[in-house]
Amino acid sequence: MDLLTHFWTWLCGFFVITPAWMTAGAWLAAGLTIFLFSFLYKDNPFFKAAEHLYLGAGMGWLLQVSFYSVLVPKVWEPLMKHEWLVLVPSLLGLSLLTQFIPKISWISRYGFTFLMGYGAGLAIPVGLSTDFISQISGTVQPLSMMASMTPWMIFNAFLVAFGVICVLFYFFFSVEHKGHMQKVSNIGIYFLMIYFGAAFGNTVMARFSLLYGRFDQLYTFSSSKYLYATQFIVIGMVVYFAIHAFFTRGGKEPEAAR
Amino acid sequence: MKLIKKYIPLAIVFTFGVLTLASYYVPHKVSVDYTELVSQWENIVYAFAFLLGLISLFYSHYNKIARKADGWGYSIFVFVGFLAMVIPAYISGGKQGSETGITLLGWSFRYIYNALSSTMFAVLAFYIVSTAYRSFRIKSKQAFVLFVAAFILILGKVPLGQIIWDSVLGWTKCGVSDVIEWIMSVPAVAGKRGIMIGISIGAIVTSFKIIFGIEKQYLGKD
Repeated sequence: MDLLTHFWTWLCGFFVITPAWMTAGAWLAAGLTIFLFSFLYKDNPFFKAAEHLYLGAGMGWLLQVSFYSVLVPKVWEPLMKHEWLVLVPSLLGLSLLTQFIPKISWISRYGFTFLMGYGAGLAIPVGLSTDFISQISGTVQPLSMMASMTPWMIFNAFLVAFGVICVLFYFFFSVEHKGHMQKVSNIGIYFLMIYFGAAFGNTVMARFSLLYGRFDQLYTFSSSKYLYATQFIVIGMVVYFAIHAFFTRGGKEPEAAR
Repeated sequence: MKLIKKYIPLAIVFTFGVLTLASYYVPHKVSVDYTELVSQWENIVYAFAFLLGLISLFYSHYNKIARKADGWGYSIFVFVGFLAMVIPAYISGGKQGSETGITLLGWSFRYIYNALSSTMFAVLAFYIVSTAYRSFRIKSKQAFVLFVAAFILILGKVPLGQIIWDSVLGWTKCGVSDVIEWIMSVPAVAGKRGIMIGISIGAIVTSFKIIFGIEKQYLGKD
């Protein structure tokens, strides 16, 4: 037992993060980043390995989050204090796992129905207050404060109200879209297009800011402090692609690589 | 058998659905306590639901390795990635930082998970650009409006775009950031509100159908 304790202490000491660990981390992060970017040239084993690693790491991260922030404080610790009520959600949760045993998989319905019932019961008031009523009040309320508004603000308030009505007409399928109905719903499409365009522009910029972040980190890892991690890995990838191109020249690419 | 396989599950949906709905509108200590308790229960059940997905994923990749299916070698990396997060989490007790600096879990998060996830999303920037090329081929007036809104948004958020705007349209005394703010707070809001109102109506109706047992596809086949 003592030997085991000593081994554990030694192991924990080994995992204290030192500058060497940081350099190793830089190489790892630079490598994984470049492997994923290499897909922009063409599909390759390095990309696929990194992609699968991401899947596993994501699941590992979520598991530790649910273990340390849900299962330990909300199940294990109450059970240790003899609070037996937590057995109810635990059993409902465990019932979900019966999905793997076809003969008794119906038991999983108990867990699912709890989630569905609670989710549906919550979705109604939340949907009503945040998405339905607050959106309508947000549209109508400015129209009631026109005395304190500038002409430009009044114009904007009317434009929003007009746009919302047009969009709602576009989504109203109980009546055939003909004549005036069609004209109003067509105007609604323009408002929708502006929203989609704005959402698209925002998404593009958000992705690009992530891209700048990755390039910035690759630049950081290219310094002598990190033993030129970025340069070495980029050169390694270029050499790989060159050798691969040389050996597959004229031949068909393997199915998996396409 | 029909009772425990069908009616009791439907009764659970109805009970929790109605109680949760009622507790939102009843300002009483009992309903507040109920909401807190059931919210905790939901977290616990979701944690087990995550295990369901995890086991399913592992089972699928284990089978690929066992059958030596195409690309089975890559499946090993799923397990490697998983262990690369779980072992440090165990050693660090789920903590990313300590008094001395970052823990092993913090290291794994920063250099493995964060590097992978942010790069995966950053790669999408290139695909979005190619999508933009296709979607910006203006074929109708609606497509032109979409293009203009997206173009102004993108232009206004880069310094070069702001310089171009100021040099071309500076005489209007209207900065690109003012135009973006107006688009986002007036016409885009009108479009978004219409969509949100539609979504909320759909969600509310579907929720009622679930609570009253009209919609029960989630129960699966008997």
